[in-house]
Amino acid sequence: MIRRIARKELLDTTRDGRFRVLAILVLAISVTSLLAGWKHYRDVQAQHEQAQRATRAQWLGQGSKNPHSAAHYGVYAFKPKNRLSMVDTGIDPYVGVAAWLEAHKQNEFKYRPAQDRTAVQRFGELTAAEGFLVLLPLFIVLVTFSTFSGEREQGTLRQLLSLGVRTRDLALGKALGVAAALALVLVPATIAGIVCLSLTPEYGSLAGDTARAALLGTIYLAYFATFIAISLGVSARARSSRLALVVLLSFWFANSLIVSRAASDLAATLYPTPSAVEFQSAMEKDLADPSDVEQRFERRRQELMQRYNAASIDAVPINFAGISLQEGEEHGNEVFDRHYGRLFEIYDRQNHAYQIAGIIAPLLPMRALSMGLAGTDFAHHRSFVHAAEEYRRSIQRVMNYDIAERAKPGVVYTAGPELWEKVPDFQYEAPATGWVLEHYRWSLLLMAAWLAGSAWFAFSSASHARVD
Amino acid sequence: MFRRILAHEWRMLTSDATVWTLIAIFALSIGYGTLNGARWTRFQHDAISQAEREERDRLAAHQATIVAANTGTSKVSPFLDPRNPEVAGRRLAGRYAVMPPAPLAALSIGQSDLLPYYFKMTTDAKETVTAGAELENPQRLLAGRFDLAFVIIYLYPLLILAISYNLLSAEKEQGTLALVLSQPVALRTLALAKVTLRLLLFLATIGALATIALLAAGVDLGNGGVRFALWFAAVAVYGLFWFGLASAVASLGRPSATNAMTLAAIWLALVVLLPSMFNLLATTVYPVPSRVEMVQAVREASDEANGQGSVLLSKYYEDHPELAAGGAEQAMNDFNVIRVAVNAEVERRVRPVMDQYGRQLVAQQSVIDRLRFLSPAVLMQDALNDISGTGAGRHRHFMAQVSAYHETWRGYFVPLIFRKAQLSTLADIPRFRFQDEPFDRTIARVATALGGVLLPGVALFVFGLRALRRYKVA
Repeated sequence: MIRRIARKELLDTTRDGRFRVLAILVLAISVTSLLAGWKHYRDVQAQHEQAQRATRAQWLGQGSKNPHSAAHYGVYAFKPKNRLSMVDTGIDPYVGVAAWLEAHKQNEFKYRPAQDRTAVQRFGELTAAEGFLVLLPLFIVLVTFSTFSGEREQGTLRQLLSLGVRTRDLALGKALGVAAALALVLVPATIAGIVCLSLTPEYGSLAGDTARAALLGTIYLAYFATFIAISLGVSARARSSRLALVVLLSFWFANSLIVSRAASDLAATLYPTPSAVEFQSAMEKDLADPSDVEQRFERRRQELMQRYNAASIDAVPINFAGISLQEGEEHGNEVFDRHYGRLFEIYDRQNHAYQIAGIIAPLLPMRALSMGLAGTDFAHHRSFVHAAEEYRRSIQRVMNYDIAERAKPGVVYTAGPELWEKVPDFQYEAPATGWVLEHYRWSLLLMAAWLAGSAWFAFSSASHARVD
Repeated sequence: MFRRILAHEWRMLTSDATVWTLIAIFALSIGYGTLNGARWTRFQHDAISQAEREERDRLAAHQATIVAANTGTSKVSPFLDPRNPEVAGRRLAGRYAVMPPAPLAALSIGQSDLLPYYFKMTTDAKETVTAGAELENPQRLLAGRFDLAFVIIYLYPLLILAISYNLLSAEKEQGTLALVLSQPVALRTLALAKVTLRLLLFLATIGALATIALLAAGVDLGNGGVRFALWFAAVAVYGLFWFGLASAVASLGRPSATNAMTLAAIWLALVVLLPSMFNLLATTVYPVPSRVEMVQAVREASDEANGQGSVLLSKYYEDHPELAAGGAEQAMNDFNVIRVAVNAEVERRVRPVMDQYGRQLVAQQSVIDRLRFLSPAVLMQDALNDISGTGAGRHRHFMAQVSAYHETWRGYFVPLIFRKAQLSTLADIPRFRFQDEPFDRTIARVATALGGVLLPGVALFVFGLRALRRYKVA
């Protein structure tokens, strides 16, 4: 019975000329945006990979110099592009692409791509995710809003029920019918997506791409199911098709356009972001504070003198210049961890509040999950920033300990390529899929709640559907 | 007669609860959006005064160091000596170049959350100086702000369509249209009255609420009176376009449901789809290469230039013979002097790469500038941002001044570095004074954009009024 209802619904929908136009439009938009995303990914990824190789070659080829000069010369970290960013570019346009890893300083990632674009960027980027999260729900609403109310208005609902069809079966059948109609759009889009993904060069940055892509697909499907259920429920309850359409369109508008702005504004009110000048001057003040560094120097001096049983630091067979450079780094690292940690914590709290606001709109947890799985969210950015900073610190350690071990006081000391080689190439491994799911457990929970709640709403509305 | 019809329509309109619900939603959004914009403007003002305070305190501290060092009461490390023009100009004595928010910045946040509005000037390369940016959660930049411009661009047309999709069809479907027209009144007069009344209702709501919210947020309206008038005109023109669209669709005589679908589809296309398609098109046809390439180009150029420092210096002297006067020979080995020459060489070499970014962005902008006439939403975004001074136009104007200031800055410090002069005061270091864009240039841009909204709006009205001749009343 359910199958028959589903088939009728599918036939009904696909025969409608409006459906065909809409379906072609949605499909065209999805595929275009995927292709554009694919091209953009390929261009940028190639540029970044090449730059990363070049910066390594420059590091190795810097000739003979003092290790501390080499540390000042440093290397660059370039943010790799994740393969799934072709589906969801997320925050990528709004975070910097390059950071200079030099001595004494944790530099910010600079050059946000959005600054190199026009103001229309702010209308939103046309990505496959945008198509799935914003346009497809609208498509679902337009296809579904009259499924119950339309039958009622034609008088066929009474006939159907007189045949002894269970309302639950009716709801399920109709949902499946709509889903099948949707599949006509989704299957080609998915195939295009898989083709695009497989046409990209292998790049190890995103471990378990396949798992991520599959999960991404699954949560999108859950989101579509939520929208189908909500639309069916409203269609069953509403007095007329017109009212159903108005209610559903208002919900779509609030969900797609209003809530994400309102939620991120609210989150920023709860956890205000400091201004750059406030942040910088507070950090510089802490960096310049000499007392901590002096204490560190003194501690290490005593330690070394004790270890080598020496009366003065000059008698210790270790060059204290290297030690003091490293202690300066350690002091800086503490300050950076404190200040950047606090700043990133503010962002994380804002983003968490944004997620929680998903109680009122399913788009919010969906956006978070979509960006998270695509590796284009703030959590991934933070993880990369952290990795780059750890790498910077490892360079400093290698350089400073080399000075401590080899440099003789009063003698000009230079090191060569053997030392530069000791610093391994910068390798970044994106966090595992499990980490993403753990990070977004609230979003997952909320999505599950939306799915369950909307299914319940659809079934209960169907069983209480108005017949007149 | 027209007034009597208006009075009648007013009675009809006020008896409809949905109208008041829509107006209430609209009023709330306007209030919230304006306050939100005002809060952001206040944040910017606070950041600017923090920067000014920081600069004042820092320069005062360094001035004190200079005095102490000159009187011999204390010693100072050569790397931290503010008397050394190289150290002062590059690290210690940086002054801020600031673009304060325009008087009515609260009306549209625009690009002001993305594009930096203050820089700390140094003798470093201009790209280094201008690479800084205001802190912001990237996810918030992605989401955009709920400001008044958002309410006007997205919500306002939707509400207009919601209130006018059944402009004539509702009365036709109720059968009252024929009754009304049995009176000596033309259909066109009736339609015009309906539209006029609704537009006035919207404009009154916007005007009153925006004024109240701005005053509540402490914005000085007297200062931006002309801008506010311009803003109100823009809102009126945009409203006119959407009412024109609604009446054109209404004049076709289709049922209310069809009208609603048609109008919603057009709204979606003009406000949501087309702008992002334009963006996709512009960024795909004229992609701006990743800045990573620029970083690498600078790096390569400076590696090479550093290797030939003294050669470059003698070349630099050829170009700037006036600087060679103060003992070129001994300067040849001076690190600071060589650095100036090396920087100049690096900048010369990477200029083609830098220019490429600017050129691609200009190309993107020119694509958008042509395409935008297809979407009143994009035109409106441009107009609102320009009126509030939060668009790309005013920012470009600011960046040009920052460039000039950078030149002035170097013009002050470089000769001092070459002369190995010692600064005795930091008070003479050039300051930045932001000159706002001439207002007539802003007005010209706004007028172009608004013309692009007004023209199709009027055309739609004319079309509607003509089509009404063939309207079947029953």
